[in-house]
Amino acid sequence: MFQFDRRLILNFDWILLLTVLAVIGMGLVNLYSATTNGYTSSHIFIKQIYFYIIGLGLVVTIISVDYRVLLSWNYVFYGVIILLLIMAKFFGNSAGGAQRWINLGFFKLQPSEPAKLAMVICLASYYYRKDTGKGFSLRELIAPGLLAGIPFILIVKQPDLGTALMIAMIAISMTLFVKLRWSTLVIIIMACMIIAPLGWKFALKPYQQQRIETFLHPEGDPLTTGYHIMQSKIAVGSGRAFGKGFLKGSQAHLDFLPEHHTDFAFSVWAEEFGFAGSVFFLACYTFMLLLGLNIALSARDKFGVLLAFGIVALIFWQAFINLAMILGLLPVVGMPLPLFSYGGSSLLTNMAGICILFNIRMRRFMVKTT
Amino acid sequence: MDESELQALKRRTSIVIVIILALFGILVVRLWFLQILRGSQYLKMSENNRIRLQWLPAPRGNILDRNGRPLIVNRPYFNVTWNKEDAPDPELIIRKMAAILKVNVSEILKRIREAADYPRHLPILLKEDIDWPTLVYIENHQYELPGVHIETLPSRKYNFGNLASHLVGYLGRINEKELKKFGDSYLPSDQIGKMGIERIYEKLLRGEKGRRYVEVDVHGFEQREIMEQAPLPGKDLKLTIDIALQQTAERALRGKAGAVVMMEVNSGKLLVLASSPPLKLQEFIGGISTKNWKAMLNDPLKPFINKTIQGQYPPGSTYKIVTALAGLSEGAITPDTIFYCTGSMLLYGRRYHCWKRSGHGAVNLKKALRESCDIYFYHVGLKVGVNNLAKYALSLGLGRKTGINMPNEKPGLVPTKSWKRRRYKQEWQEGETMSVAIGQGFNLVTPLQVCEMTATLANGGTRYRPQFVESVIDADGKVVKPFRPVIDGHALGSKHSLALIRAGLVAAVNEKHGTGSVARMKSILVGGKTGTAQVVRLAQYRHLPAKDIPYKYRDHAWFTCFAPADKPQIAITVLVEHGRHGGSEAAPIAKALLEQYFNGKTAEHPTDK
Repeated sequence: MFQFDRRLILNFDWILLLTVLAVIGMGLVNLYSATTNGYTSSHIFIKQIYFYIIGLGLVVTIISVDYRVLLSWNYVFYGVIILLLIMAKFFGNSAGGAQRWINLGFFKLQPSEPAKLAMVICLASYYYRKDTGKGFSLRELIAPGLLAGIPFILIVKQPDLGTALMIAMIAISMTLFVKLRWSTLVIIIMACMIIAPLGWKFALKPYQQQRIETFLHPEGDPLTTGYHIMQSKIAVGSGRAFGKGFLKGSQAHLDFLPEHHTDFAFSVWAEEFGFAGSVFFLACYTFMLLLGLNIALSARDKFGVLLAFGIVALIFWQAFINLAMILGLLPVVGMPLPLFSYGGSSLLTNMAGICILFNIRMRRFMVKTT
Repeated sequence: MDESELQALKRRTSIVIVIILALFGILVVRLWFLQILRGSQYLKMSENNRIRLQWLPAPRGNILDRNGRPLIVNRPYFNVTWNKEDAPDPELIIRKMAAILKVNVSEILKRIREAADYPRHLPILLKEDIDWPTLVYIENHQYELPGVHIETLPSRKYNFGNLASHLVGYLGRINEKELKKFGDSYLPSDQIGKMGIERIYEKLLRGEKGRRYVEVDVHGFEQREIMEQAPLPGKDLKLTIDIALQQTAERALRGKAGAVVMMEVNSGKLLVLASSPPLKLQEFIGGISTKNWKAMLNDPLKPFINKTIQGQYPPGSTYKIVTALAGLSEGAITPDTIFYCTGSMLLYGRRYHCWKRSGHGAVNLKKALRESCDIYFYHVGLKVGVNNLAKYALSLGLGRKTGINMPNEKPGLVPTKSWKRRRYKQEWQEGETMSVAIGQGFNLVTPLQVCEMTATLANGGTRYRPQFVESVIDADGKVVKPFRPVIDGHALGSKHSLALIRAGLVAAVNEKHGTGSVARMKSILVGGKTGTAQVVRLAQYRHLPAKDIPYKYRDHAWFTCFAPADKPQIAITVLVEHGRHGGSEAAPIAKALLEQYFNGKTAEHPTDK
């Protein structure tokens, strides 16, 4: 199994690697700016570097093992993640009223992050084993619905609306990708339209409702919940065409921007590098996602296609929701920008995802089409 | 089957590409909107977010006397503040600070409780105006006292206590009305001149605040300085006042209500402008307490009244200068005109007395002025009439504001026939003219007016406006505004008439029977006039021995003089409220000043001309 095959190197996607490194590089530059005190780099920056070093080990491990191993381990992953989520709920560290972390001593694991990836692997395995040619009926959706529903509910209860939403987005994207029957789709959409107002009323916590209301009317509350959106827009807008320059973003450096190294990292970038820098970043990011989809297109088996698509969807939705939130297009939810924001759990999860993409690409010659 | 499924998935991938591009396209459009279209607006908002303006106080100008001796200067005023947020162990700091500041822990706790409503990052004021050793100790132990800071505030230091208190005035916190009036250049926490020079020359003394723009974070903590515009220090004021003479005058008035004015007769420069009792200037630093305020208001000697310009008194016999001038100028008398004084005279069946009941006998102008014979001036008054008296009084500066640059100056009163008609709807009585002629009628004067009149008499008829600012000096020591004498008018009547009156006043001081002999000097020839201003005309008190009359019904004592007689330089006017006799109460004060000015001067200030 571990014997070396020259073709593994030949099939390595070097362009994707360069693009990913570019995005990570921009993320580190930005993190430095967002957290420096003006003289030295902060411990947060150093910590992120450590995470990348740990991530490197992860990279080697993941790309040396055939991704199809995941097919036999998927439910083990799933089980472990569910267990961790339950542990986080009962024994976890709380921050900001939410219990999201499990303290591992050197590192606080946020199990909802790997849960996203586990969701992708699990659904890819599930749909790989199913015959999807005719599209799914409503009844056939019960099993994947349960698969996604359990972590979804656990994460909503933390509460972490952003991540829960992400689980749902992945599940929906992948299900739509493998094809639904039209009738099923119509029924689901109608059901959502009925459930949404009920969900608003009963499932959302008051602060979550407020966030959404604030999003709809930000000027009504500039000091508390509207503050984040307002300050983020000021940061981004004040960057203008070419930005204020590296380390010169006043919004971030003077703490007007909340969470400027995690969820709002991109507003620091947009403030310091302006429209030009922002568009450059988006172009790199889009290119990275398209290369991911290219791997899906070049994969020789259905599992590879589903897995690659799922990972691209995972990164894309997180990025889109995060950016739309920063630009004031969506309400504020806790959602990092993959490979850019600070945060170990998110970083390792997304790196693992990228590694799986490399893995699929490297092993496309191994799959024999039947 | 698997292959076709695979192909179907791959076909769908192209739809996914479109979706990704479309959604990221929306983000680009949004970025363009925020950064390009609305960029300038957001840039402005971010500037406002972070830049704070700090005002840098300008050092207030000093107030110096004519010899450059500092009368009022600035002194820093040190407060101890504490930022609780910066202290890891607040209780330890509280105990340490209580020991250092020599106060009870409970007092510090009280201050902390009082500050509970302020934002947490604002420092708490632990103690005001700490002394130098405490300051040094705290500065040296900064590291053991996290969060403890020294706040430096400018304040006034009165080098000579309450000296010239009414003239210099005091500072106080700006009130709402003043804030509205002066607008942007003041902050609600600023001090502003409330009285006297501090108020009149507020603009000059104050200078201009500096500005410091600093970048702050969301908590208001300073991050770095962006721009600094240094404050412009206030200008120094050099007064015409002489500290030593002012001290002598105030010392002489101590415990009494009264006023001393000393003026250079050829320029109008005031050497002394003293009103007693003084204001307690120290009590005004940092805002006067209600208790102290009430005590000053209720003081029977009325310290709040600046008696030099606001005290209006009957002029008494000092007014005989006016009557004499009117008589000579109107041709009613010559120096040799003689009236007989038998101690009293009758007019329309009513008897009018001379102060000397036994009478002066034959009296000419010189004798009349020397011995202050009332009968003589009754006759002169009757001859010229009240309106002519008024004309000459006005030309000597009575009955109108002198124009000294101080607010709330009182004009005094020079009665005329038409004034009485307006005021009382009654016709003028001849007897009233007689009272006016000896300064006991309706007439009212301020000590400053009497001094100006004396100066005008002394210099030959030029009425200089009284002034107290010698020069305005900027921070580099350059005189930006030198003294310029202002002539407000001229006395009616000839120089000769004025010389005759001066001779009378010289006689009053230097000859036998003169009323002002107390002011006589060995080396210098002084001319002066005493005065006694009746407070009441109630007969029940008039016959009592002076010491038995209740204080508030006692007469005011006047003395006004000039010197040297041949070439006058200065005029001095002294008023002692309820001092009874000008000769005994007021003249010695003038004498002391004369002695100091002419005899002590050369020794003390050899460079002064």
